[in-house]
Amino acid sequence: MSKPPSPGFSPEIVVLYCRQTLDAEAKPPEGTRQGDGFSARLVLLPCSSKIEAYQMLAILDKGADGVQLVACPEKACRFLVGNNRAERRVAHARGLLSQAGMAEARLELNRAAELTPEDLMNLAGRHAGRIKDLGPNPMKGGTN
Amino acid sequence: MIVAEWKPLPELLAGLKGYKNLLLVGCATCVAECAAGGEREVNTLAPTLHMALKNQGQDINIITRTLERACEPEFVEELAEIAPQVDAIMSLSCGIGMQLIAERFLDKPLLPGVNTTSLAIREAPGLWTARCRACGDCVLGETFGLCPVARCAKSLMNGPCGGTRKNGRCEVDENTDCIWYLIVERAKARGELESLNQVRQPKTWSNSAHGGPKRIVREDLRS
Repeated sequence: MSKPPSPGFSPEIVVLYCRQTLDAEAKPPEGTRQGDGFSARLVLLPCSSKIEAYQMLAILDKGADGVQLVACPEKACRFLVGNNRAERRVAHARGLLSQAGMAEARLELNRAAELTPEDLMNLAGRHAGRIKDLGPNPMKGGTN
Repeated sequence: MIVAEWKPLPELLAGLKGYKNLLLVGCATCVAECAAGGEREVNTLAPTLHMALKNQGQDINIITRTLERACEPEFVEELAEIAPQVDAIMSLSCGIGMQLIAERFLDKPLLPGVNTTSLAIREAPGLWTARCRACGDCVLGETFGLCPVARCAKSLMNGPCGGTRKNGRCEVDENTDCIWYLIVERAKARGELESLNQVRQPKTWSNSAHGGPKRIVREDLRS
């Protein structure tokens, strides 16, 4: 699964983040932003538990190089158990990715709080750095 | 509900070798409740299969549908429009729904996506436990509403056996209650322990799975 670095490869990361992880003053960023050597599509969620395993798998199946789910710290979920559900769903989806011969590292969960939009981009950048070692998603240009 | 679980992915992938267009069908009834074959599971399995096959060098187009009830012909008919476009149909419905789909679309290979395992309840989130084995001669009235056929590892009609653990669990599986222990406890709580000492008629097994395929006829409902 791990491939030699592809020259000129700029990973496309989809960042799904819980609204509550942002600093109260921060305006929730959305849409695609260009980072240093990667691009990040930022998607606002009311809670990290609002994303299902199949949706994360579908994003990777459609060719995104990485998916990052940003959830609140332990015991800090406004819906009490939302972030724990998100964690279990990510683990389930990673298991399926692995069985499908995909690098499970393409999907990761981060717990964070009081983020600024720049912090989100930094998280995406760190994920992109790890994705660069894996190379582009082999699903790019698929039929489904 | 009828409970099923996904077949192992390697088995599913092996069955899909050579196909280019697949219809993946779920059912929104029992298998949705047990998180094996509802719309969510169809939508989870489709990208998983697609990615796995593509990684093996096979490009496949997967069309997804979830029927309201795959065990009723009227609902299966919804697939008539899409079926001609595919090489094969994989079903995540129970074995009943699968057979109805196979019967309706005789020219399409039917691939089972799940193993149908039991008649069960959702005991807790993410935990399903068997409650009935459709034995055809219900004894729940004599056993305080607890089924020894489905819930005793030996299907004993006069228990408990000597293998009950001290904590009331089954010797076969420490996570499973000894159902005869629970029957006795429930009888005690009702003050009817003595009823378990009554000699009962042997259970009739002729109406169970041993007598060949079952057929129930209700003349008043036939057209």
